[in-house]
Amino acid sequence: MDLLGFYPLFYVPEIGSAWLMGLTGAIHIMASHTSVGAAILFAFLAHKAQKENRTDLYDYMKRYGMFLLIFSYVIGSITGPGIWYTATAASPRGISALIHNFVWVWATEWVFFVYEVIGVFALIYFMDKVDRKTHLKLTYTFALASVGTLALIIGIISFMMWPGTDAYYATGSASDAFFGTNTFPHMFLRIGFMIMMSGIIGMIISSAMHKENKELSEELTQKMGWVSLLGGFVTVFFFMWYINTLPANAQALLEMAKDSIIMNRIILAILFSLYFFVAIIKPQWINRTIAITMMFVIGIVGVWPGEKLRETMRKPWVAGQYMYSNQIIGRDVPGKEIKSEVELIAAKGLLTVNPWIPDRLRTITPENKLEVGKLLTRIACSNCHSLEKDGLYRPLIKLAGPMGEEGIREYMKNVIGTGSSPYMPKIALPDEEYDAIAAYIASQAK
Amino acid sequence: MEISTFVNVMRDSAGIPFYPVVFQGLYVLTWALHAAFVLLALGSMGLSLYGSTQQKSSPYWKILTPHLIMTGKISISILIVLGVAPLLFTQVIYDSGWYVANTLSGAWVFIFIYALVIGYMMYYWYQSANKKGSSSSTLIGIISFGILIFCGVLMHNFAVEAISPTKWMEWYAPNGVIDNAGWNMHLDLIRLGFMVSLMIPVTGIFMQNYTQFLSTRKDFEPKYLEFVKSLGTKLAIFGLLISAVLFALWMQKESLLLHPLSLATVASVVLLLLLAIGNKNSYVTTGILVVVALLISSVRELIRYKIMSGVGYDLYGYPMNLEWETIIMFLLTFVVLGFTGIAFILTMAWKVGKTEGVYTATEGSAVSRLANASLVLFILWIVVYFGWGMVALFKNTL
Repeated sequence: MDLLGFYPLFYVPEIGSAWLMGLTGAIHIMASHTSVGAAILFAFLAHKAQKENRTDLYDYMKRYGMFLLIFSYVIGSITGPGIWYTATAASPRGISALIHNFVWVWATEWVFFVYEVIGVFALIYFMDKVDRKTHLKLTYTFALASVGTLALIIGIISFMMWPGTDAYYATGSASDAFFGTNTFPHMFLRIGFMIMMSGIIGMIISSAMHKENKELSEELTQKMGWVSLLGGFVTVFFFMWYINTLPANAQALLEMAKDSIIMNRIILAILFSLYFFVAIIKPQWINRTIAITMMFVIGIVGVWPGEKLRETMRKPWVAGQYMYSNQIIGRDVPGKEIKSEVELIAAKGLLTVNPWIPDRLRTITPENKLEVGKLLTRIACSNCHSLEKDGLYRPLIKLAGPMGEEGIREYMKNVIGTGSSPYMPKIALPDEEYDAIAAYIASQAK
Repeated sequence: MEISTFVNVMRDSAGIPFYPVVFQGLYVLTWALHAAFVLLALGSMGLSLYGSTQQKSSPYWKILTPHLIMTGKISISILIVLGVAPLLFTQVIYDSGWYVANTLSGAWVFIFIYALVIGYMMYYWYQSANKKGSSSSTLIGIISFGILIFCGVLMHNFAVEAISPTKWMEWYAPNGVIDNAGWNMHLDLIRLGFMVSLMIPVTGIFMQNYTQFLSTRKDFEPKYLEFVKSLGTKLAIFGLLISAVLFALWMQKESLLLHPLSLATVASVVLLLLLAIGNKNSYVTTGILVVVALLISSVRELIRYKIMSGVGYDLYGYPMNLEWETIIMFLLTFVVLGFTGIAFILTMAWKVGKTEGVYTATEGSAVSRLANASLVLFILWIVVYFGWGMVALFKNTL
């Protein structure tokens, strides 16, 4: 029997399961990036405190550390595996592809995580209990471990976009998959953002100290302004390099939205540069409310659209440009003996090759045609489209419904079925399965 | 459709990058570590809730309760990070089971993440409220505890579903009608009860360690330490007896009561019980507890292996694509950097705990040498990483 390794389908009405992953991812990015940035910042502050005998800086680090424990080591630590979990539910074969290519990289990252988690408690709670020199060494290793976690995850998330060169397809090597042309620019772009986030969060802490120690509060707000400005500059600089290392499909998608992205980024850059300059020139103007508001602004207007864009640009792929977003393997990877599944599906149909189809739906009849159509639409399209009439994300019924049943069938067969759309998977199916999908979508559009 | 075809077809097309038995071993080891902290977190938290009702009238509970809360707080962080490893290894070799469970219960997966975030954040709130002497601290703690137990139940649900291949289709499409909503919930109450019961003896043995560790500190009253020690011993004995009964019931249900692994577990538990009662050296007792944890983890794996191979899942025949570069990176990082780094922090923590006031690591002391070694190893690691990356990139682009 010709079966392929599909999994059951988990479907969330209105938003689609993939967006649960997006939401968890955006929250995690804020927390995890702050964590790495703060680790670098702590190393800098501890060095300064030790060199200049500035004991007051330890008080600031302690407060920052307590904030970090909740923000990064509760929210960040849980949403990290949380992305993984939700990805497992939403894109099981996508995450499986990553796991089976990079299990040892992830295991190595885990060693760094363990060091980080135990280290952060030691760093904060032993600040007054261990000599300064040993504490400084702990702070340095903590910063290096944090950067190490980024160094290890970056190759995997870059691979999600593409392997960077063709070497991986031939060798199947994790090393070739990990170190693509995209990896280093992506890493430095994120380091810049991490430094900027550490400054943005740092201003929340420093501004909250205003009542108790005005002078220190303003000095630190000023310093955080410089830190953020430096981080922002690094981010923008490497963003430009990063864009140039994207694959052709991503470039095509980017081109479509380029004007609005550039406008959005320019507005953000101006807004945040102004904010950072105010912190440097008039630190007394930055209070806790403003600092917290700006943190949310960067999350909602900066991180969320940025991550959405990165997800969109990956389309139609979710891993290594061989796994489609709808969980079908779309190309051969000889180095791993992976075979494209597109041809088999075209010949046999999803109803035959998917092991999770109940027997009563494997054959299309006039009675079950719409039910089968609904199921096939969910399997083939729901990873990127909401299927309800007023669904939130790329609502399929609204997009395809106006074409009518015949139009949908022709579009599926001649555009999607031939792989002519740069951002949609090639979904080649037997005619009767196209018919069922078209009938279902058209029936919902009425 | 043959169920053996069904379970094998879902194995990842990329194959696995090393021998399945190695992943199996790593899974058993890391799950035991993870579970130890799950049990310590829940146990210390549960006991702290009782303590929070006693601390006003009892000076001993007033000292012990915040210490238990802190133990729970750190243990939750550690259990989360340690939990990543078994999660990773199970997905490599038992991908079919894990992914099916996650998709069948997708809604619960999402709820699990945010329940854990809320439960853990509330735990910080509980700690802060308790510190301030707020009257609502116990209530906050109870809610947090309830949420965290609920997370444990959800995790148990995923584990049960993952080893029920014969029921997957029925759960996904009852009577042939597909249910994509991801609300499946299937529990095995005896197994769950046994796992949860272990939090009592684990916390008891932890308290024996606590008193032995602090016995050299002059700022802790001997009577207080005697109180904690006695309480810990009672909890350890009582808890081990409950767990032993539940373990026997579980093994009976799985038809494994007389399996050598179950018998070895029972023998180790008896030894653990004797050591806990004698309480001469709690560090030795802890060593045996580690052995028991590894045995329980092995029993879990045995059950899974039996079920999956029983339906034709060919674990040891999983296609392999050996991946030397990254496994060497992992082994060197794990053994050399990981052990040195963790040894540094734990040695420092030990010394800090034993010292009244500030601990100073003198030149040449173990802490100082471990700190220097860790720093050098981390720097070396980063240098090798960039060197490797550049060589790989130049090889493939120039």
